Amino acid sequence: MQAKPPKSPPLSSATLHILLALAGGNLHGYGIIKEVARNSEGHYRLGPGTLYDNLKKLMDTGLVADLPPASSRRKSASTKEDDRRFYTLTRQGKEILASEVDRLQAVVTKAKLRLQEARTGRA
Amino acid sequence: MNISASRLIYRAILRLHPSAFRDEFAPDMLWIFDQEHGQGTTAHLLLDGTISLLRQRCRLRNNPGQLSIASGVLITGPGISPLRLLQATIVLSLICFSCLFLEKSLNASVLWSDRMPCYTVTLRAPSHAEVVLQPTP
Repeated sequence: MQAKPPKSPPLSSATLHILLALAGGNLHGYGIIKEVARNSEGHYRLGPGTLYDNLKKLMDTGLVADLPPASSRRKSASTKEDDRRFYTLTRQGKEILASEVDRLQAVVTKAKLRLQEARTGRA
Repeated sequence: MNISASRLIYRAILRLHPSAFRDEFAPDMLWIFDQEHGQGTTAHLLLDGTISLLRQRCRLRNNPGQLSIASGVLITGPGISPLRLLQATIVLSLICFSCLFLEKSLNASVLWSDRMPCYTVTLRAPSHAEVVLQPTP
């Protein structure tokens, strides 16, 4: 019998939000903070300490990579933001994110089912 | 709090991070602090920087020559200069006052376990998200 591939453990909120922010494109640190705040409609706010602590772990595990300055600079703008390091989601990071989204979807599906059962009095 | 004073405290907190982490991320962290501090998030940024400092230091607590902070107690190894120790003491004192301030003024609760790095910090201020740190494996 073939063994099942090991499942990755659930991601923390900060990690999930960072990966989701980077799924939309390459961002620098402050860009990630703003994107996370925008995605969560202001309910989840990352501090720089939490952000870089998680980014370091994600880079160590190969889920996120930093880009060399030349490839991360935007052609149109030449602001101070261009001097910042940009981060990108790796292929492995995308796979882990997709698997986490599937896991969360399964949780939501099960939760909806339970709530429906509770409403109809069959729970 | 005065902007220059809070920036000085934040720089001191960054200065106390392990050198590898500091060299890699401190300039960006300070830049983000400069972008954010005018938006009424200074207390949040200082608390976040302090938590980051504790996490990074706790990871290095077994390394000789490194300074670790566990449950508010300084554990020193060989090679720690008196200046660094003084810096750490000043910052820890500020952390204690900040925690008291947060608890009294912002209806926040800060819970520390006796086994670092297993700690939980919960901040329930009206304008901030809840911050819960999970135990580090």
